[in-house]
This record gives sequence, structure tokens and C-alpha cells, in this order.
Amino acid sequence: MSWASWLRLRQATQVFFFIFYIILIFTVVQKRVAPPLADVFFRLDPFLALGAMLASREWIAEFALALVTVGLTLVIGRVWCGWICPLGSLLEWVSFRKARQRVKTNSPRLRLVKYFLLATSLAMALFGGLTLFIFDPLTIFTRTLTTALLPALFYAVNSIEVLLYRVDFLTSALDGFEGLVRGTVVPVEQPAFAQNLAVAMLFFGLFGLNLLAHRFWCRYLCPLGALLGLLSKVSLFRPVVGSTCTQCTRCAVVCKPGAVDTNPEDFHIMPSECTVCLDCMASCKPGDIRFHFRLKPAQKEEFDLSRRNALGALATGAAGVLLLGTDLRLRQENPWRIRPPGVGGEDKFLSTCIRCSQCMKICPTTALQPALTEAGLAGVWTPLLVPRVGYCDFGCTACGQVCPSGAIPLLNLEEKRLKVIGKASLDRNRCLPWASGVPCIVCEEMCPTPQKSITLEEAEVIDASGKSIIVKRPSVLRNLCIGCGICEHYCPMEGTSAIRVYDA
Amino acid sequence: MNHRPPVSRRAFLKLTATMAAGVALASCTPKQKPTPADIATTGIKPTIPPNPTAGVISTQPTQAGTNPTLSSTNPESTTTTPAYLAVAHGPDPAAITRLAIDALGGMASFVSSGFDVIIKPNICTAYHTPEYATTTNPTVVGTLVTLCLEAGAKRVRVMDYPFGGTAKSAYAISGIQDAVEAAGGEMHVMNHAKYRVVDIPDGRDITSVEIYPDILEADLLINVPIAKDHGSTRLTLGAKNLMGTVLDRGMFHMNLSQRIADLTSLVRPSLTVIDAVRILTANGPTGGDLGDVKQMDTVIASRDIVAADAYATTLFDLTGSDIGYIQACADMGLGTMDLASVNIQEIQL
Repeated sequence: MSWASWLRLRQATQVFFFIFYIILIFTVVQKRVAPPLADVFFRLDPFLALGAMLASREWIAEFALALVTVGLTLVIGRVWCGWICPLGSLLEWVSFRKARQRVKTNSPRLRLVKYFLLATSLAMALFGGLTLFIFDPLTIFTRTLTTALLPALFYAVNSIEVLLYRVDFLTSALDGFEGLVRGTVVPVEQPAFAQNLAVAMLFFGLFGLNLLAHRFWCRYLCPLGALLGLLSKVSLFRPVVGSTCTQCTRCAVVCKPGAVDTNPEDFHIMPSECTVCLDCMASCKPGDIRFHFRLKPAQKEEFDLSRRNALGALATGAAGVLLLGTDLRLRQENPWRIRPPGVGGEDKFLSTCIRCSQCMKICPTTALQPALTEAGLAGVWTPLLVPRVGYCDFGCTACGQVCPSGAIPLLNLEEKRLKVIGKASLDRNRCLPWASGVPCIVCEEMCPTPQKSITLEEAEVIDASGKSIIVKRPSVLRNLCIGCGICEHYCPMEGTSAIRVYDA
Repeated sequence: MNHRPPVSRRAFLKLTATMAAGVALASCTPKQKPTPADIATTGIKPTIPPNPTAGVISTQPTQAGTNPTLSSTNPESTTTTPAYLAVAHGPDPAAITRLAIDALGGMASFVSSGFDVIIKPNICTAYHTPEYATTTNPTVVGTLVTLCLEAGAKRVRVMDYPFGGTAKSAYAISGIQDAVEAAGGEMHVMNHAKYRVVDIPDGRDITSVEIYPDILEADLLINVPIAKDHGSTRLTLGAKNLMGTVLDRGMFHMNLSQRIADLTSLVRPSLTVIDAVRILTANGPTGGDLGDVKQMDTVIASRDIVAADAYATTLFDLTGSDIGYIQACADMGLGTMDLASVNIQEIQL
């Protein structure tokens, strides 16, 4: 196989995995049932696997798949980064010509950042905190698609449809389009998420950083890339520059992650930075860059994590966990901190949830929203159930199906229907029949428990026109309520619902 | 490096601007809102209910099956005197659905060749399978699809807007999707972009509503509720089932009975088929306890939504006037709840 074919094969592989990833995203948008591979990318991610297992102190069988990535890396290096990672591929495709000049001014020491971020993340995980896993490349990409890009895409589709439906002769064509996409690709309810702008800014910020260097994120910041880079230092096959090298630096020019150290005294390719894209081998005039079998670990680089750095990262991680863990917002009871169904203690949840936002994406009612400070900064971008936005569907177990780390347990429907998410409580000072003598009882109608958790009592009241009427007044039966929040969601009271679910 | 793009930027912008201008202009053309008057001209949909006294035989509605108008051996004889209200009893939901429609004069009296038909069952939630009697019996819906297609309908769409769970999941778990697709109909997901505000000319409390326009534009609308318990209205039947056609149901609850009647005056389904194969007697409309389900093996059909609803109340030992919206519909002249005055044919399979 010629080098040109190899390069084409790599690009095709990148496109394949990227499209596969996007298709998987669409298969779980506001659905109830996840396809079996829905979380396969997360399960392949050894950074998430290591973090979740360190923090939860449990072997998480779903993450066994990450060993495939580890194995692949131990054989031939960061294939994940150059061939598979959807965020890496995207950042490779969004490249700027100016970056080639600018990169020369970047210090190679910047590469230390990713190793430090990796070490700090894992140190925090060791002490039970997964907060920094918001920086895993897969969680970044999925979160951005979930909370920012897909809602925007659906908004565009819906807005254009509203306009086009006013044109009579287009109606049948639009109906045909609708029949194909509505409820399958495009959800019926327009999703909207808290903090979508912040999430999008982080994502597009990575694009912007590409102005400074090709794949800036992958070179300098990505903690998963750092982990795979460390493994690549001992991979069995490594790209090695042969003895016929003329130091023409053509390889260094084409190398996207900048893995060629062009120091004339020590001209070499740094395995920890190489993403196995093969561009150097294809461009080498003497054709003398080859994979060589090596057992000895690769040489040290100036940006490698020193012992001092490692201890610093450990201390930073410990301090981070201690400080975040003593945040009052986390420690005090928070009635609005309602977690997805089946989630037990808050500490356990925070040390298992990898912040991937898969649950928010699949929730058919978009009830699950990214937290900001409801669980302190420790819980930023973890899922919260916000009943006014969406209710927990009584017939649904979707979030547990897509959670890669088991932070939201996989429950069957019978189990899930018994899980108490919270407890509803009614404000008689605002409830229409109680406070205003207006007939309502939407909450009772919506309540999904087989025996209604809301009971009605009839009362004779004087309505606005001075007439005596009979209204039915609702009350919550606390022993039956599971806190699904459908009452709060549909309560017709303006603004805040007159019946609200509190964490229980 | 400096290759020429297939379309220049200028050409692309010109094309985009032209198309946008075209769409904008086209969408500015005054578009008529569908009104009941429009619908009256589109098909055989009656704007007033048929004369209740037109029927020859009047029978007292009594306990199910005790007063059959017809012999079970030859239900075809109904063709001579179409019933005003048909009630069919029997263990086979498909057969009794056919019998009830036959008693009204057959589906051919509703469907002409090439008709675009919409069937509106009650698929309120995506929680339970049909045995729980929270959603319309799939066999009843499937049979109606078959009957419409047999009568020459061009297309039969089935739709509802569930309040619990997504439409797709509700269609699937209710069994209605399978039944409808097996019969050759299609499930349709109602799309927010399409809803339109439509005037209710006869409305007493609400004078306009945001409604799914296909419901009003169909050549034939068949309303297929399931008879079941309901917290605020006591029972949800035909008129209540029409709430699935509007976007904002919350506001209806302030004055539910009259607003349901107002909506009924706008929608006016030409045929109401009430599924009482199984009825839900408590904890409705969401259900979930088989102990609340009662097997009735009954299907009720009429052109008069009020009469059909009034008859269905008797299955719960109530009368039409016990249910606020049935009374309100009758007050507006949308039909009759005086069952003694209409030709009721009870058929035992």
C-alpha cells in the first residue's frame, strides 16, 4: 500500500468515526430507548474509565472497552487521536494557514499543561472528585451538541418550517419531510438548555485556539491525549527517523500535532505527541521514517511531568477536592437539587458522574438540565431534574440506559416507577382552586401513579363574579408521590408552579 | 491551492437572496384560515347533527345487551334504517366495531372515494399497554382504518398529542401504531410549527384556539375516545378527547366544560366511535391499576358526539347531564343527550 493510500485510509477512518459518532448522537435525542452502542465512544475512553473507577472505587464493567484503546495505544501510539477521536478530527479539519507561522512562537513547555491537567484530574478522582472531567474531549463535544448545537439546529428547522408552512403549495412537501424527521431525527418538543452559551463558548474557543497552532487543544490541553501520550512512550512500535535523514524538516512542516523535535543535535519524533497520522512518513524524501519495534521507554522531553510537577498536581487535586467539598452550596440541603431517578447519595453521584450529558440528550422531556452551582462548583454541568422545564416520564428509563458510568442506575420500568425522585408540595396560597376559587386540578389529572398521589376535596367557594360554585381542591398524598414533577410542569399558574417538587 | 469554487460567492448570494425573497413574498399572501364554513364545503361533514327524531325506532337505552334491536345472525339488515346511535356488544373488538359502523349505514356513508381521513384516538400517555384502558383499543382503531380504506379513502392518518411521554413512544406502547400500520394507515406526529390560531365563531367562552389545522381540513374526522374516568370532568369521552387537537391545554381547565364545548363546536367530528371494550373506572385519565379496569366489550358509534357521550356515561351509572361538558355541548345545540328521543340500535354479536 502506498503512503497516499494510507493517508486516504486515515482520513476515511476519521470521517467514518465522526459520522458514526454524530449518528449515535441523533439516535438518542429525546428518545426513550437507547440503541446498544449509544455510549460506545465513552466506554472506549480510558481517561473517563480511570477517573470514574478511581473516584467511585468500583470496577465499572462497562468501561472494560477502554482497554481496547489502551491496548491499541500500547502497540502503536495515539491512534485514537489521529484516527478516531471525533473532536480531534473536527479540530484537525478546522485549521488556519496562519497557525503554521504562529506556532513557532509557542513554547514547547505549553505541552506540559495537558499532562498537568491529566495529573490533577486523576488526583482529584483519587480523592473522589470528577469535576475536571468536564474537560474530557468526548464530554466536551457531546455536551456542546446536546445543550447548544442540536437545540439551535432544531430551532432553525422549526423556524423555517413555521415560515414555509404559510406557503400553501409547500404544505405537502413539508408534510413529507415532517413524516421522515419528526420524532425520529427532530424531536417534537423544541429543546432548550441552561448554560448553552457557556458550553458553546468553551467549544468554539477551541476552534479559536486553532489560530495559534494546528490542533491546539490536542497538542497542549487534552487530558485524554496526555494519558494516551504517556502510554505511547512505551508503545511497542514508534515512528523513528532513520540514519539517512538530511534534517530537511519537511516532516516537521506537515506534522499536525508538531511531534517532530527539529533540534539538530537531537532530531527525533516524540512518540507521546505523535497522533500516528503518517504524514511525516509520506512526506519524507529519503523515505526513512518508519515504525520501529522498541521495548525501551522513549526518551525524556523537556515538557514531561517532573516529579515536582506530579507532586504539585497531586496537591492541587487534593486542595481542589477539599475546597470544592466544603462549598456550602454543596453541603447544605438544596431543595432544587433533584437528581435523575434512581440516583442515591449526592457524594456518590458526584464521584461517579462523568459529566458527559448523555442523560440530558436522551431525556424525552428535556427535564435534565446542566447544573451550575446547585451542587457547588464541584457539580458543575451534572444533570439536574428541573420539573418546570420537563417532567420525569413515568414510562421511561432512558437516562439509566445511556449513562456510561452507572451514576444513573440502569433500572427496569417497574423498579424505576417506585424510585422516589422528590416530593411534591402544594402552595395553597397560590393554587387556583385554593387561593382564587378557580376550577383547575391539572395536577391531579397529570399524576401518573396508579393510585393518584393527589387527592381532591370539593369545596363551595365564591368565584370572581360573586357566584357560589363548587371547586375541587388538590392535596398531595406524600406517601404515594414519587416526585416525577409532571404536576409542577403542567401547573397553569403563571411563573413558578403552585405545586413544586423538592428533593427528598 | 487557488482552485475555483464551482459557484462563485456572488452567484451564491444572488441565488440565496432570490429564493429568500420568493419565500418571503409567498408567505405574505393572505392565507385564509380554515373555518367551519370552509369545511362544510369540503365534504359530507354535517354542520348540524342529523335530526335525532329521523330514526324510525326509538328504544330506551338499557343495560348492555338486554334490548337488542337486531338479531345477532343478520346485522346487515340495518341498512334499511340507519341508526342514530349504534351500540355493539361482543367479545371481538374488530367485529363489534364493524357492526356499530354498519348500523350507522356503513363506512361508505362517511367516506367517498379519495377521502383524506384523520382518526383521532385517545393516546394520552406513553405509560401503559392497552389492557390498562388508558388509551383507545388498538383493534378498534385498526378496524376503523380498514373500513375507511375499504370505502375508498385515499389516506388514513392517526394522530394524538400525548401529555405524558413522546408521541412516538405513546403510539408504540398503546399498540395503536402496529394496528394502524398493519391496516394500511399511517401514524402522524403533530408538529408545533403547523398549529394555527383559528376563530371559534360559536364559542361562548373562548373565541379562538391554537389548533392542528389538518384536523379541520380533513375530509373526514373520526373521533375515537376510550371511555374512562377523569378527575375534573368525571369522565373523558368524545368531546373531551378533542383537547388532543390543541396546543395549549392548560388554559382550558379554567372553565373546562364550556371550553370543551366551544372546541367541539369548531371541530365537529363527523363520526364518534367510543371504545368501551375496556373502561377505566378510577384513577383516570392516566390509570395504571388493572383493578380499575372493567371489561365492557362495547363499542358506541354515532354521528352525534353528544349522544354518543351521553350513552357512554350510562356505562358508569351516570347520565349525560352529570358531565359538565356534555351538558354544555347540548346547551350549544351540538347534539342531543336525550337518549329517549333517538333511534338507538343495540347489537349483540
